[in-house]
Amino acid sequence: MNAVLPSPTTIAALVKIGLLVGGLMTAAAYLVLLERWIAAWVQDRKGPNRVGIPLTKIKLFGLGQPLADGLKIILKEDFTPSHVDRVLYNAAPLLILAASLAIFAAIPFGSVLPPLGIPGLPDPVPFLVAPGLDVGVLWVFALSSIAVYGVLLGGWASNNKYGFLGGVRSSAQLVAYEIPLGLGLLGVVLAAGSLKLDRIMEAQAESGVWYAFAQPLGFIVFLVASFAEAARLPFDLPEAEQELVGGYHTEYSGIRLLLFLVAEFLHMITAAFLIVIMFLGGWHLWGITGSGQEVTWIGALLRFGVLSAKILGVIVFFMLVRWSWPRFRFDQLMNLAWKVMLPLGLANLVTVAVVEEYRPWLAERLGPAGAGWVALGLPWGMFFIGWLMAGLLTPSGTDNRPIRTHGPLDAEHALDTDLVEA
Amino acid sequence: MIAALLPTGTTPLLVAAIAAGTASLWLLLPQASGAGGRTGSLGGFFGGRTGLVGIVLGLAALAGLALAGRRLGGLGEEAAFQLVALVAIVGGAATVVTRSPVYSAIWFALALAGVAGVLLVLGAQFLGVATIVVYAGAILVMFLFVLMLAQPTGMAPYDRVSNEPLLAAIAGGVLLALLTTSIGRLSADPPACCTIPSRADAMNAAPSAPRADNTVPGVAAAPVAAAVVGAADPDALSADPVARLGRELFGRHLLAVEAAGLLLLVALIGAIAVVSRGEEAGTAERGTR
Repeated sequence: MNAVLPSPTTIAALVKIGLLVGGLMTAAAYLVLLERWIAAWVQDRKGPNRVGIPLTKIKLFGLGQPLADGLKIILKEDFTPSHVDRVLYNAAPLLILAASLAIFAAIPFGSVLPPLGIPGLPDPVPFLVAPGLDVGVLWVFALSSIAVYGVLLGGWASNNKYGFLGGVRSSAQLVAYEIPLGLGLLGVVLAAGSLKLDRIMEAQAESGVWYAFAQPLGFIVFLVASFAEAARLPFDLPEAEQELVGGYHTEYSGIRLLLFLVAEFLHMITAAFLIVIMFLGGWHLWGITGSGQEVTWIGALLRFGVLSAKILGVIVFFMLVRWSWPRFRFDQLMNLAWKVMLPLGLANLVTVAVVEEYRPWLAERLGPAGAGWVALGLPWGMFFIGWLMAGLLTPSGTDNRPIRTHGPLDAEHALDTDLVEA
Repeated sequence: MIAALLPTGTTPLLVAAIAAGTASLWLLLPQASGAGGRTGSLGGFFGGRTGLVGIVLGLAALAGLALAGRRLGGLGEEAAFQLVALVAIVGGAATVVTRSPVYSAIWFALALAGVAGVLLVLGAQFLGVATIVVYAGAILVMFLFVLMLAQPTGMAPYDRVSNEPLLAAIAGGVLLALLTTSIGRLSADPPACCTIPSRADAMNAAPSAPRADNTVPGVAAAPVAAAVVGAADPDALSADPVARLGRELFGRHLLAVEAAGLLLLVALIGAIAVVSRGEEAGTAERGTR
């Protein structure tokens, strides 16, 4: 290998990184506009529709808005309060954005390109920055847990009550929901037999059964947990504007605040990518995209389009949910994670393990079609049983009267712990 | 003269580097008589003359270790390895040197990231990523959580000084020396069991290389040992490493894995028992609810 000139593989990786980072940043900017449009539509008002081309009267439905927003927030005064821990205060937004972007090294954003015929470049070229990484799912999991540091450190370094409360809330929430997230993910990994996300998509394309249909329970658990991991309503306790001003980024302004907000949007995009790739078939759509590695240019573009359309659909769902559900209280949040989602995730994992273990045995007795129907029926039966159990047995936790966490004698102690961060 | 006393394959350079590292650690560890106002930040290191001497010695030790070590092969691989190893070592040293527990935790996270990077460079992808998921992602976040709640104003006196800096530094140095000279044999031609596989070597090597029979007494060490066995195998990088690791864990080391799982379960039940007893006592005292 030539040590001076970068190899074609390196150049291809750099090109992919450039495309991905540019695409993601643009997407994040325009998704903010989409979010504001959807919010306006839900609330029956017009929303941002005026900013078009500067110095003209052309409005373009407000498509210039992200540019104006970006310029405004970058040009704002970059104010650092005097009471912050300077090193960590500056490091936190960088850390969270870097971690959120690095996740995409293992996330495929399409299928494969047809052979290009460039010497030294393995054909076909996958739409994936790091195709050699065998543990893609775990990579995503690891880096999303690194992103917790950004929130936690940002909240702590701000040396501000609201910021600190937001940071503590968020770390508890993210750590709690990582477990159902992992359980939902394990079911898919078990069924696909690989930790590579592109392999998981291919497995769904080959069988034609998306894992959302084959593992409904796992899908629900993963969906809820990824809402919580992305800290979107109804799980936005880390920010909770009405209670905590802005939560962990209360003390941030200007470009640093922008980094936090972009990272948050990237988390939502990541969650949408994962939901689509692992449960909704990725680039596969029956009768249109086919399966396998042999593609034409049109096929490759079609697969990319299908994947993007699905991701956009999931993101719109995220945005609609935001205006449809009230925020959880903290005890409800924890009850949901530990007493509902964790058992449901375990039930799903056991069901998938049993189905996968006995699939060959069933195929021998009933033929492949019959085995397929049983493999579909068992998880759906488990889904309804799980739903019923969750409804009947778990504490409802919908009581909204104030709960007493301290007795009268504890008042002094309670005061101490409340003042800890002051 | 001294070199004759050392085990075969050890250079004086390596010994000198480890000695310098030990001295550097001793000088840098927060001592009762040291500069009192040192905070956890990086700037704090440069306070006081002992700190400066310690840093110079530490840099010398790092350079010595880098020179004494074996080369990996490709230039890119070498540079990546040196970088992540440097991050791991500096992060580890800073973890024990800083006075603020929160900063210690952050440095520890950085050290873990370095270790994960080392594992990734050496081809143990699963272990590298698992290190981040388990340690940095879960355990350390819990540490931070508690530290932040428990550190309202300033630092407790027991955080500001290190109890036995000299003994601690010497113990660390001796451990490092033993490990590098007995297991790694950094500068000699390593025995077949301990070759660090470079990617190119693994692809080209004949599949008949002798396999290390690594039986492990400790429970916690089982996954690591399994990975070492896997990494020493020449076709470890061409086959699916995760599947191989899984087969190894749930085949040869099944008993160890089950024992570790049982231990965790017992610890979990114990924790619940302790908490519920404490709650009972609390409610009985208060007489409410």
